[in-house]
Amino acid sequence: MGKGQRAATAYKSTEYISQQRDEDGLITHPFTAAPTSSSSLLGDKKPTFTLVTTYLSYLMLIVFAHIRDFFGKIFYPGQYVQLREQNGFAPMVSDFESLWSRRLYGRIRDCFNRPITGVAGGHVALLERFSRDFNRTFEFTGRLRNVLNLASYNYLGFAQSEGPCADTVEQAMREHGLTQGSSRAEAGRTQLLVEAEETVARFVGAESALIVSMGYATNALSIPALVGKGSLIVSDELNHSSLVSGARLSGAAIRVFRHNSTRDLEKVLRKSISQGQPRTHRPWRKILVVIEGLYSMEGEFCKLPEVLELRRKYGFYLFVDEAHSIGALGPRGRGVCDHFGVDPREVDVLMGTFTKSFGAAGGYIAGSRQLIDYLRLHSHSAVYAEAMSVPVLAQVLSSMRMIMGEDREHALEGQQRLDQLAINSRYFARRLVELGFMTMGDKGSPVIPLLLFNPAKIPAFSRECLERNIAVVVVSYPATPIITGRVRFCISASHTREDLDFALKQIDEIGDLLELKMVKGNDAHMQAALKKLE
Amino acid sequence: MESAANTPLPETGDVSQRGLLRTVWDVSFRIVIRYIKNSYKDDPFRTFLEVCLVGFIIWYMTKQKYNIGTNEVVLTTKEIDELCEDWKPEPLVPELTEFERETLDKAVLIDGPNGIRVKLASGSGKQVLNFASYNFLGFINSPDIEKRAQEMLRKYGVGSCGPPGFYGTLDVHMELEKQLAAFVGHSSAILYSQAFTTTLSVIPCFSKRGDIIVADEGVAFSLQQAIALSRSKVYWYKHNDMADLERVLAEVNAQLAGRKSALPRKFIITEGLFQNTGDITPLDALVELKHKYKYRIILDESLSFGVMGKRGAGLTDHYNLDPHEVDLMIGALNNAIGASGGFCCADKDLVEHQRLSGLGYCFSASMPGILTVAAADALHSLENNPDDYLPAMRENSVHLRTLLRRIQGLQVEGSNESPVVHIRLTPETLVRMKRSGGAWTKTDIDRVLTELTDEAQKDGVLLTRSMFVDEHERLMPNSSIRICVSAAHTKKDIEKCAHAVKSAVSRVTSKKR
Ligand SMILES: Cc1ncc(COP(=O)(O)O)c(C=O)c1O
Repeated sequence: MGKGQRAATAYKSTEYISQQRDEDGLITHPFTAAPTSSSSLLGDKKPTFTLVTTYLSYLMLIVFAHIRDFFGKIFYPGQYVQLREQNGFAPMVSDFESLWSRRLYGRIRDCFNRPITGVAGGHVALLERFSRDFNRTFEFTGRLRNVLNLASYNYLGFAQSEGPCADTVEQAMREHGLTQGSSRAEAGRTQLLVEAEETVARFVGAESALIVSMGYATNALSIPALVGKGSLIVSDELNHSSLVSGARLSGAAIRVFRHNSTRDLEKVLRKSISQGQPRTHRPWRKILVVIEGLYSMEGEFCKLPEVLELRRKYGFYLFVDEAHSIGALGPRGRGVCDHFGVDPREVDVLMGTFTKSFGAAGGYIAGSRQLIDYLRLHSHSAVYAEAMSVPVLAQVLSSMRMIMGEDREHALEGQQRLDQLAINSRYFARRLVELGFMTMGDKGSPVIPLLLFNPAKIPAFSRECLERNIAVVVVSYPATPIITGRVRFCISASHTREDLDFALKQIDEIGDLLELKMVKGNDAHMQAALKKLE
Repeated sequence: MESAANTPLPETGDVSQRGLLRTVWDVSFRIVIRYIKNSYKDDPFRTFLEVCLVGFIIWYMTKQKYNIGTNEVVLTTKEIDELCEDWKPEPLVPELTEFERETLDKAVLIDGPNGIRVKLASGSGKQVLNFASYNFLGFINSPDIEKRAQEMLRKYGVGSCGPPGFYGTLDVHMELEKQLAAFVGHSSAILYSQAFTTTLSVIPCFSKRGDIIVADEGVAFSLQQAIALSRSKVYWYKHNDMADLERVLAEVNAQLAGRKSALPRKFIITEGLFQNTGDITPLDALVELKHKYKYRIILDESLSFGVMGKRGAGLTDHYNLDPHEVDLMIGALNNAIGASGGFCCADKDLVEHQRLSGLGYCFSASMPGILTVAAADALHSLENNPDDYLPAMRENSVHLRTLLRRIQGLQVEGSNESPVVHIRLTPETLVRMKRSGGAWTKTDIDRVLTELTDEAQKDGVLLTRSMFVDEHERLMPNSSIRICVSAAHTKKDIEKCAHAVKSAVSRVTSKKR
């Protein structure tokens, strides 16, 4: 009930904004200049009106946040003691830091951390909840709500509690127990682990592989083993937080290049190599370029062939994080290398996670035998962190074998899943564009972001989807640039055509309600967008 | 914008953005000219001043530009090409040393389940008694827990396929968080999917650049990393030395007394049961200092949770202190509890802050449901029957230490009841073992310790040398063999272990080298 009310007010505010826009009549079609096919949809053709209202909305939100804080501190000082210096202790979270979470995030908290039960498969059971105190706390109704899941990273549909993989996992638990209670380097190395590592190496096409019990840790704890003081990390500006943490922990110098811009990368490289280290001008010991295979907030692939070209020219080492691309991309599901048809051995460090396509957890690093052997003794995760648990290893093994067609009883199922994912992703992306939405992402990406822009539309979209029994992920600043708040659809092989059509129908209606169809009525632009997806 | 709206627009309505911009530019240009004309009429001196000001600003800004690139050398394209051509990186990773190669080749390989008894696929290939895994309460390989885990597989599958924020929060996560908070006696708890990275998430979440950390020198590697990641100002005090801690606290406070800026956050960071030494922090003294000098305590209870205290609730339980005295309590579920992952207990606000700012929470998939339930089950068993586990574990620890202390030439470390027992050869023994009286390098010592574990393995006892990434440890801990005692070891197991160590020591030390 409370939720419905909130959703309604959210609509009111968006309606208000859209009415203004109608009266204004200044910009009826956001795209009037002929679209250039080479630039991304977002590139330089942002709808000006939306841009202005989005900034204005954020400005309003922030102004109101400050006003509320100002009066709050006068009338309800009790609620703000945590933010003040008290009794000689500095506040744990400073006033400024927490403004965002209290005043902005607090309004839309119901769209995040929605608890579920069971498997996050093609459909998922949400625990129905509501709030009596404006999202400060939630209460559960005790009912479950079965919704279509367009949110989980379940690309190949391996999030399952039954079927051949689950059977293998159960068998493995019978034979190998549950956990190791030790790190890989001490007493956590089991035959199952070794077997899984060999399978991963075979799967990605590398000599050797190392398995880590958490994907985040795979980056954060392995990069420091590769580079340190006197080395340089050149990182895409949109790299995942785990890569940033790893780079910081390594002690190497860090330079950032513009997202997916090989030109900027080359510029940074030329400058860094020619200038050498700061102050001393000594040559860099190593340069590690860090990119992701598939950027999960954008649905964009890295430009691997061009980066490899640069690698040949400048001789840096290349680290590719395939967290989202491994399993999901390429005709054989072997990630970006497979997608672009390049030899995976050209990439020095192949990293990926099992959390997404394989329905498991944790991550791996693959590469030359020398590299992996070194990491087995020098990466923090192998030496200090807990080894991977048995059910997760078994899930990795069984799902990979199925994709590779090595599971004889289900020889075709892996390929079927890959094909289904590709068909589903293309269908969904194409239909969204045809409906007039502004989407992002490359052709064949299972991650399809749809731009919402205005902060009021972000929770409204999520709530409206939930009302219509669809689970989606919405992201806004600070996870994205302030202007391009978006909803991100993750397509899965476990979605049927009916599921997708149902979702599209609902999204179509929501799009009308929230005025999201920015490309509608602009054939030139729509054709360009469609062409990009062909 | 307003001026743009006032100008007549082309009738077609097909205004290109560029056209719009041009209109805006034209109009504003006209306004500026008109303004200058007007103001000139009124006050020529003012115009002069304004022009000077604008000129100064332009000069200032262009000057800035040249000053920025500290000591960059201006190079021609050709020179850059040559430099790029010449640059050759070091190999990505160095070759392994001979000893490292051996370590890797001889690494323990377990066939089948871990637990108190494990079958080896490496070395002897026999079944051995496991004193290497952190299995303090014997929950690893417990049949009840494993049976439930198999049932849970049929409900939750394996992976959660998303971070907690995006439909990765399971009902069992929330239940386990409640259970943990209640068990520890703190207000609230949050789960992380790997124990090692828990500290890396929690500490930078609160201690930022400009804040102050006073930390024990003996803390384990994950805390060292977390402290580095926080970018706070760090002061170290001598391991478990409360007098030294007090000296540091007083010094820091004295420095801060003269400050003009806002008060920084101040933390004391230490470990409950030290991984590298097996002793415990005198938390009672620490809490007194905390109040006296106004610091907050971040306590890593990765090893002490489930081990210390009457109920096994950790160090506050052991010292009978209010759990809230520890502001951020970090625990692990992979050691005593036998599952996987870590958690942090704190006030509700601080936990909620982590749900938004804890990097390892926001940007990583949540813990698999199976392992969550396994942790909950183990915790239930401990909660309901602490006496089934804790006394046995302590007796075993005391018993093993007593036996080991009798062995000639062996140094035994750690608090008496702590199940983490570090052993190493005494310096005198080492001196005696060197034929030429030469110095021992770290590799030599590690090699001897490896020989010790190999020998023990022949007698059916699995031990491990404590492994470190030497080049990254802040202060390299002394090499040792770390023995982990479990409640599930029998008295005979303990005696067998002590015996194996004894004969291994006598065999290894008899060889001169
Ligand atoms: C690029 C990238 N790297 C690493 C990770 C972390 O993986 P995990 O969720 O397995 O910890 C993610 C997950 O979101 C990711 O997107």
